Amino acid sequence: MATPRRGARGLTPRGRRRRAGGSARHWLWPGGRMARAEPPAATFERRVLRSAAEHHYLRVRLELPDGGARPSVAQFKQLVVSALRELHGEVGAALPVDVLTYEEKSLSAILRVISSGLVKLWSALTLLGFYQNRRCAFRVLQTSPFLLALSGNSRELVLD
Amino acid sequence: MAGFADLNLPQGPDKKALQSLLEAAAHLGYSAVALNHVIDFKEKKQEIVKPVSPSELFPSLPIVQGTSKRIKVLTRLTLVVSDPSHCNLLRSTSANIRLYDIIAVFPKTEKLFHIACTTLDVDLVCINVTEKLPFYFRRPPVNMAIDRGIYFELLYTPAIKDSTMRRYTISNAISLMQICKGKNIVISSAAERPLELRGPYDVANLSFLCILILSKGDRGLLFGLSEGEAKAAVSTNCRATMLHGETRKSACGVVYTVKKPRKVEEEETTLPACKKAKTQA
Repeated sequence: MATPRRGARGLTPRGRRRRAGGSARHWLWPGGRMARAEPPAATFERRVLRSAAEHHYLRVRLELPDGGARPSVAQFKQLVVSALRELHGEVGAALPVDVLTYEEKSLSAILRVISSGLVKLWSALTLLGFYQNRRCAFRVLQTSPFLLALSGNSRELVLD
Repeated sequence: MAGFADLNLPQGPDKKALQSLLEAAAHLGYSAVALNHVIDFKEKKQEIVKPVSPSELFPSLPIVQGTSKRIKVLTRLTLVVSDPSHCNLLRSTSANIRLYDIIAVFPKTEKLFHIACTTLDVDLVCINVTEKLPFYFRRPPVNMAIDRGIYFELLYTPAIKDSTMRRYTISNAISLMQICKGKNIVISSAAERPLELRGPYDVANLSFLCILILSKGDRGLLFGLSEGEAKAAVSTNCRATMLHGETRKSACGVVYTVKKPRKVEEEETTLPACKKAKTQA
């Protein structure tokens, strides 16, 4: 008796045990019936999403050169919202901005904003000049749609 | 990519303040700055002095963050003109004017704006941001200026200091961008303190803000401008202005060769000279 073809039911051409549901050609209906599918039109499907990230993250630092009192978290958030209000009005101040982290010692923070509001927030921070009648400046250090990207900064990389 | 440049740092008498300004600019990432000397003709007669060479003022220039090169310092002259007779200075070949790297003019009336865009030999035309423009921009002189390679300059430091100036800055910037479609714009600070400087990407974002306002939010960009063109307002346009100033200093004329179209001779029928029969006597 001739040996059965290796591509038959039991073994794949490579000699491995055929998995149930592993073939693209035959698939099972829920009742267990076999149905013959037409050959797949494409072997893969590619989806390209542009600006699909929901939020943008900004790492900012407030520069306050004089040795006065440093703002707390709540005051920092109020400063950001008032900057938005000064430039974009009440609608701008209503933009959902979150302060994710804040370090009082270095006055640096990570802000999260909805992606459509990135330009408004960034421009409002750029044009802010005063905090409680003291001159200040916002320096935007990094910005990215991914929070993980803010963990490394190649500009401050120090190579020994 | 062209390095970022801030083409307007007012030159005051205090050397230490200038040095701290330079250090702040280098730390923020600007590869070139221009020290601005303003001449206002409305005040009593001022002469145009020779520009102080930056190497004398600053013995050691700070290194730009992110590169290993030192910051480049250029000299710039701004003429505030409110009368057509003031422009004669530019037309005359005064020796001192030639020594500046960049020449800018600040027109105060519509006629002078037209003259500056069409005939004057300048690199930059400053647009007033501290008060409402007394004239509207018209398309023909602006298009001629774009063809000639002249750039329009907007300042952003007044917007940081005062809220009324912020309104004028944005309204003038928007009316300019509407007419010139966002081309040939340079944004610079007139910062007197290091705290009034902003990083190059922040400034590029400001031009993007004007585009966003013009395009009415999230409907998409009206004029087809992209974020890359907004960034150009700080980087490539600045570099083009500096090169324009350099060409003004150096070149007086251009020689170029043109290939003349050869007349079609009947070469296929004639034999090469060596094979011609020597029949001449």
